[in-house]
Amino acid sequence: MAIPVSQAVTVASYVVRQKLRGNRHYPLVLMLEPLFRCNLACAGCGKIQYPEHVLRRRLTPEQCWAAAEECGAPIVSIPGGEPLIHPEMPEIVRGLVARKKYVYLCTNALLMERKLPEYTPSTYLTFSVHMDGLKEEHDMAVCRDGVYDIAVRAIKAALARGFRVTTNTTLFEGGNPERVRKFFDAMMDLGVEGMMVSPGYSYQKAPDQEHFLRRNRTKELFAAILGNRKKHWDFNQSPLFLDFLMGKRDYQCTPWGNPTYNIFGWQRPCYLLQDGYAATFKELIETTDWDRYGTGRNEECADCMVHCGYEASAVDDTFSSWSGFTRTVKLTLLPSSR
Amino acid sequence: MPQEQKAHRSERPQWEGRSFRFTKQTGLFEVIEAAFDYRGDVTLELKDGSRIEGYIFNRQPGGSEPYLQLFPKDEPGNKAIRYTDIVAVEFTGEDTAFGNSWEAWVTKSEAMRKAEAARVRAETERRGDL
Repeated sequence: MAIPVSQAVTVASYVVRQKLRGNRHYPLVLMLEPLFRCNLACAGCGKIQYPEHVLRRRLTPEQCWAAAEECGAPIVSIPGGEPLIHPEMPEIVRGLVARKKYVYLCTNALLMERKLPEYTPSTYLTFSVHMDGLKEEHDMAVCRDGVYDIAVRAIKAALARGFRVTTNTTLFEGGNPERVRKFFDAMMDLGVEGMMVSPGYSYQKAPDQEHFLRRNRTKELFAAILGNRKKHWDFNQSPLFLDFLMGKRDYQCTPWGNPTYNIFGWQRPCYLLQDGYAATFKELIETTDWDRYGTGRNEECADCMVHCGYEASAVDDTFSSWSGFTRTVKLTLLPSSR
Repeated sequence: MPQEQKAHRSERPQWEGRSFRFTKQTGLFEVIEAAFDYRGDVTLELKDGSRIEGYIFNRQPGGSEPYLQLFPKDEPGNKAIRYTDIVAVEFTGEDTAFGNSWEAWVTKSEAMRKAEAARVRAETERRGDL
């Protein structure tokens, strides 16, 4: 199992409590974006293209802690921008860990090795390193040579200091399954705790049939990558979400599962689409017309199979259906039985 | 991680440099919607003759008193402005999303990609972010 038992128990008991309360729109992972500034400029990244005065703005530690408390999700993922640029990030992380939040600090690792001494290893803190493939693919994806090698060095340094380390990988249509499988081997050989994968988000106006074909191509890609899965591969995510990516289960999007908070407020409806902002989490949940979003409901959601919309759906399925629960248990205990 | 967003659909700067003046509310809602989608600053001229430049990050077109929210370019904090107070909208800032799609990147020559990567690296080093 890729995650510590204590984390699995915390998340499971949290979800069960929500189900018992009849709370349908519960958050699972807070996507906390304390800044949009980055030290890379990956082509196609929609998170960093703002005027300079917006890129200079940052959330304060107090704003970050208040968002985590207001939302109540047991997991806080900190993407960005590049979070390690934020001068108060160690303080933000300390405060979240003190609140017993499982923090995934997402980084491109360019500053990671230098910044490691500012952080304390904890079960509650994981460095989630952005790696989109082997050296050739990753450096191409982030539009800079040498980044893969820097990230590998940083991962080794973090592991040597006793930190939890995972990787996060975005795969786009046209990816080479064999190269991705070699990449998974390389990451596990480095000693990371687990890997996270997701298809990238894309949106193009197209007829329904074309959207259907595009989703099918995503499922074929993931089936080719994750079928005949190697025993030493560990994934730091729901096994049912991987089933979903392979086309073995079907889900509707649950965008409230990964609510996003940043300098603009609580983002409607999800981490990827920007349809406005709410001032509070309560307002986000109560005033967003959730039925307008998801596959088959919204043109912009037609091709999306991204983790921020569907991983919470998979986790919810584990606790909502007998088949989901037994399948999760089976894949957790025998991951190569997929 | 690279994620496409709606702001990157166009490879032509459709709005940058354009301006719109409203004598009535006709067209105002559509232009504000475009300004909300726009990844650059806009300048609003208000009924009292004042002008404010900033980034529109939210809008509330429904309800009895539609309003937008923006981060002013030269001030901290944000401001809420009622639609009824707006007489003109100008797309004055650079469209920061223009030409930055993945498709645009892969069609560039190797030399152009290297030059762009070097420029971004130099900028981040100058800011002290590397």
